[in-house]
Amino acid sequence: MSQWIQLFALEFAVVAIAALVLLWDAFAPRTGRAVGWITALLLGGVLAASFFVDGSGAAPHGVFVRDAWVVFHERLFLAAGILGVLGSIDWLAMRTPKRQAEYYALLLFSLAGMMLLAGARDWILLVVCFELMSMPLYVLCAYGKQDGPASEPKLAAEAGLKLFVTGAASSGLTLFGLALVVGMTGTSHIGPIVTGGPVGSGPAPLTIVGMLFVLAGFGFKVGAVPFHMWVPDTYQGAPTPFVAFLSVAPKAAGLATLAIVLLGGWSASSSVWLPALLVIAGASMVVGNFFALPQTDARRLLGYSGIAQIGYALLAIATQSRGGLAMTLFFVATYVFTNLGVFFVLHAAAEEGGGHTLARIAGLSKRSPWLGGALLVFLLSLAGIPFVAGFWAKLFVFMEAWNAGLVTLVVLGVALAVVGLYYYLTVARSTYMADGDRSTPVRTGFALGAAIVVCLFFVVGLGLWPKPLVEAANHAAAGIVSGR
Amino acid sequence: MNLTHCLLLASFLFCVGVYGLLTRRQAVAVLLALELMMNAANLAFVAFAHFRGGPGQLFVVFALAITVAEVAIGLALVMLLYRRHDDTALDRASETQG
Repeated sequence: MSQWIQLFALEFAVVAIAALVLLWDAFAPRTGRAVGWITALLLGGVLAASFFVDGSGAAPHGVFVRDAWVVFHERLFLAAGILGVLGSIDWLAMRTPKRQAEYYALLLFSLAGMMLLAGARDWILLVVCFELMSMPLYVLCAYGKQDGPASEPKLAAEAGLKLFVTGAASSGLTLFGLALVVGMTGTSHIGPIVTGGPVGSGPAPLTIVGMLFVLAGFGFKVGAVPFHMWVPDTYQGAPTPFVAFLSVAPKAAGLATLAIVLLGGWSASSSVWLPALLVIAGASMVVGNFFALPQTDARRLLGYSGIAQIGYALLAIATQSRGGLAMTLFFVATYVFTNLGVFFVLHAAAEEGGGHTLARIAGLSKRSPWLGGALLVFLLSLAGIPFVAGFWAKLFVFMEAWNAGLVTLVVLGVALAVVGLYYYLTVARSTYMADGDRSTPVRTGFALGAAIVVCLFFVVGLGLWPKPLVEAANHAAAGIVSGR
Repeated sequence: MNLTHCLLLASFLFCVGVYGLLTRRQAVAVLLALELMMNAANLAFVAFAHFRGGPGQLFVVFALAITVAEVAIGLALVMLLYRRHDDTALDRASETQG
């Protein structure tokens, strides 16, 4: 029993914080920003505790395994959660002062789902964790339903429903695929043997159909082409501080799931899923980068950019090597800090400028040089310019893919990265070159400012000194793929 | 009646669900289609468990709980859409562009 508590200590702590926040709100409502700050501080405590609690081990029947892989993801999700809370504090206190605690509680429940997800080695646990992660996101998406800049239509309900319909449809796809896979193999363990036919004959046709259904279901969740339709609409409609969180943490969790399933569980049947994965990765890079070009709303642009970035991450998973998986982790970790930063700066600018279109954030650098500079650094990191974090991420991913023989996709990826540079710099140009209709500095709340500074610290710091994260990623990847 | 019959029925239900999801414009009908997809999966789970053994029935218990929670959230979102547009037709509610 005591081992159980150690295994899930951090997850229990996160759920306990959520319960505490809800209870506090019930007994002492309208506490202003305090509830957000307490949530962030307690989450920080959990993150700190992850360095002292050694909860490695396995639950009975191997349904949950806690190793370096899980610890890496727990810290990543906690960091994203803390930043997500920090970025929301000012917005929530201003826009929905009476309904703050639910927001944090839902975000924490989603966080708990993600943290458990990384250790799940059983299909039932994996599906339940995935839904625990997804369902609060549907609600949060429609949270500020009456809020937003006056000049923009109120799209939160539409955004929430779109995320819900695609999310539920992908759950249906995954479940149906799992019915076939689990039914044919007779076990719900995500193990290395998936045949369903006679021993040594490879997967049976029904198993193959099931595996492709499952892959499609997870493709929806990470927003890869051709399952990406919801991404730009949801990003445009949902509250921006929440989109910042939505654009990174669930994506990281989805990629972790894909790695567990494809590299950990189905590594022996890679002839089935590898062609599909390569097509999805290539299509995501092409569609994401080219559809981002004509966008005038910065959030839609970042939505398509996110699709392209997922393509790069999938390329690294497709290498099927330990090094490739480690670079997926490195890529995702840098992407978490970069994309959070971009959305936070955008949020600060849009709150004052009255909208998220490129015209509305024009002249940001003249009004607030620090915010403009931070945005430029984040955009350069997304584009992969030396020497910010995103450069190493792209370089390492392409190197691993090249070594794995995926030459065509690497060439495609490098070419498309140039396209990416163009539209990222379009955003930067509108903040530096164009003149806005206002000249006063952009006021940024303390919490939002702190979140931006932390993101900036990591993006620049990892750009100058990526080695610790690379080593941690290599260590973590060994939990899924053994060998080189 | 054997496993093949059950799986054919489940696949048929799943296809009806996907068809409804793609063609229906009413949000409530879309929810029904989603429910149909989930239940097709549950039928396949139970069929496999009945004819070949395995953890299918256990899976269905969890899948049912997930489905119920999902539909509850879905209906709440549809209510939200209705309050804003006085309508639950998805194509008329779509305002995002690009």
